[in-house]
Amino acid sequence: MAENLPEISSEPIVAGVTAHSNFLVSTGATGTKFLSELRDNKKIMGIKCPKCSKVYVPPRTHCPTCFARMSEWVELSGKGSLSSYTVVRYKEPYMPKEPPYAYGVIQMDGADTGMAHILGEVDLDKIKVGMRLEPVFKEQREGSILDIDYFKPSS
Amino acid sequence: MTAEQKKEEQPEFIQFRYPREVPYEHALGYQSKFANALKQGRIIATKCPVCGRCTIPPRIVCPFHHVKQTEWVDQGQRGRLISAFKINFPMFNSRTGELQNWENPIIAVELEGGARMDGWCAETDPSKLKTGMLLEAVWRPEEERQGRADDILHWKPVEE
Amino acid sequence: MAERIAIVGVGQTHHKSKRPDVTTAEMIAESVERCLEDAGLQMKDVDHLVGGSFEVADGYHCPDKWIIPELGAVGKAGLELQNVGTTGGVLAVASFNIAATGLFDTVLCYSWQKMDEAAGAFGRGGGGANEYWTGQFPMSPITNFARRTYAYMDRSGCTEEHIAMVRVKQDQCALKNPYAQLRLGLTVEQVMSDVLLAWPIRRLHMCPTTAGAAAFIVCPEERAKKVTDKPVWVEDWFTCHQGGALTMAEDPTSSTLRHACEVVYKRQNIKNPVKEIQAWEVYEPASPAELRWMEEVGICEDYTAWKLFEQDKVGIDKEVPFNPSGGVTATNPIGATPVVRLVEAALQVRGDAGEHQIPGKIERALATGYGGQGENVIMLLRKTL
Ligand SMILES: [Zn+2]
Ligand SMILES: [Zn+2]
Repeated sequence: MAENLPEISSEPIVAGVTAHSNFLVSTGATGTKFLSELRDNKKIMGIKCPKCSKVYVPPRTHCPTCFARMSEWVELSGKGSLSSYTVVRYKEPYMPKEPPYAYGVIQMDGADTGMAHILGEVDLDKIKVGMRLEPVFKEQREGSILDIDYFKPSS
Repeated sequence: MTAEQKKEEQPEFIQFRYPREVPYEHALGYQSKFANALKQGRIIATKCPVCGRCTIPPRIVCPFHHVKQTEWVDQGQRGRLISAFKINFPMFNSRTGELQNWENPIIAVELEGGARMDGWCAETDPSKLKTGMLLEAVWRPEEERQGRADDILHWKPVEE
Repeated sequence: MAERIAIVGVGQTHHKSKRPDVTTAEMIAESVERCLEDAGLQMKDVDHLVGGSFEVADGYHCPDKWIIPELGAVGKAGLELQNVGTTGGVLAVASFNIAATGLFDTVLCYSWQKMDEAAGAFGRGGGGANEYWTGQFPMSPITNFARRTYAYMDRSGCTEEHIAMVRVKQDQCALKNPYAQLRLGLTVEQVMSDVLLAWPIRRLHMCPTTAGAAAFIVCPEERAKKVTDKPVWVEDWFTCHQGGALTMAEDPTSSTLRHACEVVYKRQNIKNPVKEIQAWEVYEPASPAELRWMEEVGICEDYTAWKLFEQDKVGIDKEVPFNPSGGVTATNPIGATPVVRLVEAALQVRGDAGEHQIPGKIERALATGYGGQGENVIMLLRKTL
């Protein structure tokens, strides 16, 4: 490597930079149906594959197994069982709740897939896989997955 | 439902916007010497022993010959205009994330030492710019320099 | 010895400025559905996927996580790649390489960009420019092509009117392509009085922001012949990347396109490209770029392409059938744009391009991808082996 011009320092420099972005995300026709049902009717909707009959929640447009277009909506009770969970105890920007909070995968009754969401009204040390859960909706809803405030243990 | 009513009924599509600010820290590595030279009001470049090309950004190896550059070379304070353009619409300032207007043309300069670099032009009227015209670097006051390319405020046309 | 390979199916979305009705993954699925239908295949027949977009303008992390399930392709072999504007070209070349190994029978390449969601990404200096070196400048494709065109006009004698003629030609082609986004019915006067962005670039000269996706399927010879009676053979391909082209290059108007074409022409013994290649789909991010690219691919001498427009020799049914689809100034879903070029070139070779089909037999077609400040990918297609 060139080492002449000794009067100029080779001391390493680190340049700081902040990147700005402002993305928009489309939920599409399928996502809009799911989110508007949460918002307008406090309903959790699944979608059923015409080929393999699996019910997906949250919904998608094509079956991941069959690549068939899905259009048959299925209304779910919202009740389900906890299939996995963790307790978040660290803090990062853009978190949906103040830590500590629990979030888990909920196997919804009548669906073939789990859905991730936050757990509430529960002692963080007493969460158990298999426990029965039901959704608690927010008062003010805006067409977001967070229109469900959390899932709580059902009586 | 009549065709008229159908037209009025816009289907709803939910979209989300999520603004983000992400801080990065980029190491300049070998190029740090170039940045330190800027603080002294000097422009330096690496030179290839095979083709004699001086390159900015400086590099450890010549991009064309894949051999180690053996020398740093002072590029002087003057250069000739290669190309220029002026932005006539508000464009984002990547350092602030804000839209702003840009008065000065952006130019590419071939320095006396042979290396080329981008810069701002002091002359704001693009019709007064000619390829090959002689330009001189105008620097920020020494105490304001940060070892960044904009330590050179702009390039000013010089009478020949 | 590598397998000979052929494209057996193509598909693209109807490109639009906004697609709020679909997610990114659903938009890709649309192009894949059309591609599979064109090939007469099903997803279960595909054994390798290659996909990608210009990631910094995407806004998704791990896009595979969203896309692969939407494509019904869970568990299949696959790669995700990206390289700015050449992304689609890099995807295509990777797909060709994979098919040419003979290890996979049916390789699906999918590409996308949903620019209606990503405008904000371009706020930060050309979508990810190097902060230290270019952070002080508001760099973008607009400014890149402003300075290229300034230098081109300076050297060639080409005027603003000639650049406007290029834009009108592109629009006339796009009007015949139902998949194109901008189909405007422009006149030279309209182009010349359009909003000035950075002289000599006006708004109409720049590629638009597009939401769209494109896909194709490539197979080794034996499989290709079973799938279709209209295989489009991929004769040769080459990628050529170059950084910081403008301050380093001897000529600020040049890209790596000339070098890339020279390599491919030599390998395929092409002596007179304008006679031996009958269809061109060359990635032009701004209308004046088409002039320099025509020279670099060997259609005419340096700094003379504008004369071909003055003499009205460029168009679908004219002497030089350059970008019959309307090109990138009509449609630009960035990560997919080079695949759109390839799809259009393949349709020309098959004779299936519809209203914008070039008359006569298309024995060879050349498609390219362009990105950054001078990177190029060459894809040469052939009708017969
Ligand atoms: Zn299914
Ligand atoms: Zn060298």
